[in-house]
Amino acid sequence: MKQLTRILGAALTAAVLSVGVASAASLGISTGKLGAGSASVTGCTSSSLTATRNVDNNGDVTQVNVTGVPQACAGQTLGVTLENSSQTSLGASSTVVGTCAGGCTVSLTGFGTVSAANLTAYAFSLTQ
Amino acid sequence: MRSLVVIRRRLGMVIVVATVTSIGVGYAASLGLSSNQLYAWSQPLTKGTCNQTSTTADDTYVQQANPTSTAGGTATTLTIDRTAGSQSYAFIRFNLSGCNLPTTAGADTAALTVNVTSKGNDTISLFPVTSNWSSSTLNWNGVSGLTIGSTATGTFSGNSTGAKTVTVTADVDTAIKAGALWGWELRATSGNATVVIGAAENGTAANRPSMTLSYEK
Repeated sequence: MKQLTRILGAALTAAVLSVGVASAASLGISTGKLGAGSASVTGCTSSSLTATRNVDNNGDVTQVNVTGVPQACAGQTLGVTLENSSQTSLGASSTVVGTCAGGCTVSLTGFGTVSAANLTAYAFSLTQ
Repeated sequence: MRSLVVIRRRLGMVIVVATVTSIGVGYAASLGLSSNQLYAWSQPLTKGTCNQTSTTADDTYVQQANPTSTAGGTATTLTIDRTAGSQSYAFIRFNLSGCNLPTTAGADTAALTVNVTSKGNDTISLFPVTSNWSSSTLNWNGVSGLTIGSTATGTFSGNSTGAKTVTVTADVDTAIKAGALWGWELRATSGNATVVIGAAENGTAANRPSMTLSYEK
């Protein structure tokens, strides 16, 4: 009976640990932050980035301008993915955020030939 | 006793599965940290259309031979002519305020359609206008005070009557971001004939200028 109790205890411990780790991972995804909580890694923004795009006369995206990037993000790599309605990438580009006073507007090019008509969302990422 | 052995085996399997799952999820989470991805965000876009008709159009034509005339503002047709000494330029714009587009919006596609009611062997080019004008006041002398692009957005042949459509996506996209669309100057860039197109005041609806617009915001 004692052995059975020990086994049940071990099973319960493993289950709790598993749920805890899974919960932590799901929290990261639901808030859109994939890595957080490390002392050596600090986010430079908690606000929502927004973007506009320019097009050529064919309606293809020529440039994406991300506004409101905080100065604290200088030196980090800003990535932008153009997504269609199926959340499939139509093109992506990234650049290192430069230094600027106040909020920066960061312009990215090199997305390839992407029709603006198919673009339904911008996905942003900031990495060190 | 035998059932106790079975229970122990089953519980052992549960522990192994739970441990492996835990390690797997933990490893996946650690991948995010190791790549130092600090921020991820998605901005969805709203798509729509806001086609323009004569009710939002403003147009005129100016005449070199009558440099102070504003009669083109109420004319039912617009004359375009490249003949030296009697040149005529047409101007067309649309008021997009009814579309309620913020300056962060953009045009996905835009196309201007005009209808040639009297043909001539000219190539008609559209040049973007980026400064304010009104059909009630614009005359030949006033054209020099406008800001007009030097590169044609598009062209059409005036050598046949009927609808002529020119893609103007880039110009309209720029105009949305600027907060106003001041339209185009239509000028003959080859030929010396006279081409006439329908104005917004034309009695036949099909002859009036129009513009299709698909946007995002």
